[in-house]
Amino acid sequence: MRSLPPTLRAAASAALIALALALAAAGCSRGTSGRAATSAPPDTLALEPATAEQLLARVREPGARATLVNVWATWCGPCREEFPALVALAERRREDGLRVLLVSADFDDQAAEARAFLARHRAPGPWLLKSGPDMEFINGLDRRWSGALPATVVYDSHGAPVEFWEGGADSARFEAAVAPLLDRSR
Amino acid sequence: MLHATTRRLALLAASLLTLAVAPARAQIALGDAIPMADVKMKNVNDKSVTLASLAGKKGTLVVFTCNHCPWAKMWQTRVAEIGNAALAAGLGAVAINANDPAAYPEDAFPEMKKRAKDLKMKFPYVVDATSDVARSFGATRTPEAFVFDASGKLVYHGTVDDSPKDAAAVKSDWLRDAVNAVSEGKAVAEPETKAMGCSIKYREKKAI
Repeated sequence: MRSLPPTLRAAASAALIALALALAAAGCSRGTSGRAATSAPPDTLALEPATAEQLLARVREPGARATLVNVWATWCGPCREEFPALVALAERRREDGLRVLLVSADFDDQAAEARAFLARHRAPGPWLLKSGPDMEFINGLDRRWSGALPATVVYDSHGAPVEFWEGGADSARFEAAVAPLLDRSR
Repeated sequence: MLHATTRRLALLAASLLTLAVAPARAQIALGDAIPMADVKMKNVNDKSVTLASLAGKKGTLVVFTCNHCPWAKMWQTRVAEIGNAALAAGLGAVAINANDPAAYPEDAFPEMKKRAKDLKMKFPYVVDATSDVARSFGATRTPEAFVFDASGKLVYHGTVDDSPKDAAAVKSDWLRDAVNAVSEGKAVAEPETKAMGCSIKYREKKAI
């Protein structure tokens, strides 16, 4: 750059600063958890086993204004129906501080189906797989949960549950559950 | 500006929609009696029965199940065995399908008849034609079991066992143990259990 005339040097510096700012902005937009993916994951994406305790530890991790946990399975019709709305919500609200944790309740030997489903829907990570006995997981996550799928819990920034329901939902319901936490004056 | 307004409108619409969603279902509690015991439900033999008419002298087993749900399928052989054993032990037993077959065609009546025959069910497999019986129990998933004792009080509510996929790997045989305990007039050791299952697809309430 030293060999460049002063005017060109200034222009190049400005371009470099602009590039750095753009890269920083892109980095920020990756989301609060730092693990969210915006592009289609490969079919071989890693499904990470999670007990209820491990899941709740992720919920309590700082950095999100709200966390939505959704337990789903490939064999569950209402889960498949609501999934696109969940993925859209995660994308739309990531920059507002929403963390979405999708937990597959498929059996271990159905992991390939679960991975293919997540890839097809371009689901944001982390990609979790329920681990441990059902009853322990159900009661560990929320004692109000009967075990019916899908199940959704919304937590505030401190990890306190503020909304819970089981059964399918639509885009409007998901939005209504997270909006009060995300749109609160900062 | 436009973005904020759109979001506010979406939020308002979402709030209104949320209000229209039914609140969480209250479940009957241990000690409660069989609800809606006089409602007639059509059995796979085309005759109508009521829960009151099916109650046994020693107790009653009620299982909400269906044909399509993978979890109900995994447990269906064991549910048939436990139901048949309950009958033999002096309890009443019934399987109830409360799902809307419009949502899952496999849950329609003809398939119920076939399933009951294939599984050699000696107890009724009936249709909850309005889903109101399931609503009154607070049943949310399939399969979901309720066991009432000789005096008609709920003494067990929960799942079948701890190993849906592999009957040979069952360690806690909760429902079978509850039925055995009730048939012997004993207390149920583990009266409330849970497992994952398919949400019951209730039939919509008809406008009055």
